[in-house]
Amino acid sequence: MISIRQASKRFGERVAVDDLSLEVPRGVIFGLLGHNGAGKSTTIGMLLAQVLPDAGELRINGCDVFADRATALARVGAIFETPAFYDYLSGWRNLRIFCEYTAPAEAERMHEIVKLVGLEDRIHDRVSVYSHGMRQRLALAQALLPNPELLILDEPGDGLDPEGIHEMRNLILRLNRDWGLTILFSSHLLSEVQQLCTKLAVMREGRLLFSGDWRELGADRHWLRVRVDRQAEAERALLASGLVDELAYDSRARLAQQADVPAVAAWLVAHGYRVEAVHPIERTLEDFYLETIHGSGCLR
Amino acid sequence: MMFRQQLQHELVKLFARKRTYIGFGAFAALQVLILLLLQLPKAKQAFTKLLSTNGYLPEDYYAGLTLAMLIIEFTIFLMGALYLALVAGDVVAKEVEDGTMRMVLARPVSRVRLLATKWLACALYTGVLMVFLGLTSMAAGVIYRGRLGQLFVFVPHENVFGVFPTADGVVRYAAAIGLLAVTMQVITALAFMFSCFRMKPAAATILTLTVMFTDFVLRNVPYFQSFQKYFITYHTSSWLRIYHDVIPWWSIGESIVYLMALGATFWIIGAMAFCSRDFKS
Repeated sequence: MISIRQASKRFGERVAVDDLSLEVPRGVIFGLLGHNGAGKSTTIGMLLAQVLPDAGELRINGCDVFADRATALARVGAIFETPAFYDYLSGWRNLRIFCEYTAPAEAERMHEIVKLVGLEDRIHDRVSVYSHGMRQRLALAQALLPNPELLILDEPGDGLDPEGIHEMRNLILRLNRDWGLTILFSSHLLSEVQQLCTKLAVMREGRLLFSGDWRELGADRHWLRVRVDRQAEAERALLASGLVDELAYDSRARLAQQADVPAVAAWLVAHGYRVEAVHPIERTLEDFYLETIHGSGCLR
Repeated sequence: MMFRQQLQHELVKLFARKRTYIGFGAFAALQVLILLLLQLPKAKQAFTKLLSTNGYLPEDYYAGLTLAMLIIEFTIFLMGALYLALVAGDVVAKEVEDGTMRMVLARPVSRVRLLATKWLACALYTGVLMVFLGLTSMAAGVIYRGRLGQLFVFVPHENVFGVFPTADGVVRYAAAIGLLAVTMQVITALAFMFSCFRMKPAAATILTLTVMFTDFVLRNVPYFQSFQKYFITYHTSSWLRIYHDVIPWWSIGESIVYLMALGATFWIIGAMAFCSRDFKS
């Protein structure tokens, strides 16, 4: 669905995106992760032909976004972190304006989308009186109106309350599952990305550090938490025993290839430690992200 | 079809904003103020003296048409430039500043087409504002004096001194307003061009006014008389030449062509700046 080949962009001396190549397959919710200034928004800007790359090729559905902008963006909807509207006009008029830059807006379809995002009671109010959550819903409505195949969401959860984030997440999942939309999702909220995306890309300082299924990478690495009475001594002993091959903060240890959790527990008891807890730790996206960003053991 | 709808939306956006009406309101207020000031004995005296010393009856000319012409003559340069620059300088820069431009540019619309609809909306606004000025000035003059009367025009710096019977006066007045709507397009195009660059809306407005006022000042420096035809304000004043006894159509046409070429140049420069810009939050 999205193909980026060797794209680069500089703003003055600063390299925003450096030789980025990325493929986003059709039908997935694809996460784009990175710190502030990692190049996520510039990448999205280039994909939407808003930022002109210094080098490289960007395609949506096989169409070059610069050479054939009209075709490439015809079935694309986008939301930015701070959705901007013509505040002095109604939500309905805003939808018409944005939609008709793509295709004529049919009233029936507009009603359907307005209902989907839950704005039917306030759609004829001026946008200036909308709350942030309502603006986000309106942004989603305008993104869905051209009947997109690809939805690009740049930090869509920013500024939303927990309920709003929950609603947004469910809606994204529905759009992907029921409508078959491909979704490119950029966010700082790792828990959101973890719940939504299986495939993702991690960027740092404009470079791509990882792209693919984050759960597959390092899936053979099992971590456990060990809590005993003489913690420091027990950790050193465990490492020496060969049952674990790495220690980390917060009483964490990585199991050696042949070891398992019961074996560690039995060893601790056998060596006279009073065991408070020994249990496996599920690897989170945060662990994965920090590991990728810092280049080594995520739990270090 | 889509172009028409997009232009319609641009007009809706333009005319839904309060700022757009400042020009209309200011001109209306100024018309009333000028009419009130003309009530002052000294002003009235000076006006009647000018006519009577040239052998005309002040009563015939101190009426709607002449007053309308007076109002426009004294207000158009400063106020016209200001309000056209205010609106056209805002039209792109404000959308960039507010972030709506980024939302629009996520759509499959070309940047040139987007600019074309915006510029057309500004051009229409310019025309509407000038026609409004022409009609309301005449209405104010007629209401004030109760009749149209004959037309007397005196513009020393354009060598215009004309007296016209009512029918001829109305035709010339209408033609002058039409010409004004065309010549003022260059100010709109200039402000529009600045608006396409990376700058605040206010900066685009101020830059436009700076260019126009500098042009006006330089044009009036005696040493630059021989360069008259290179100044924008020389050509924007061409609408006044309609009041010459024998209308110099060639000179007016020359000015219009000059202004159109200048307007097109401003548009192209603006479009080039806009098309080579990055739009990012």
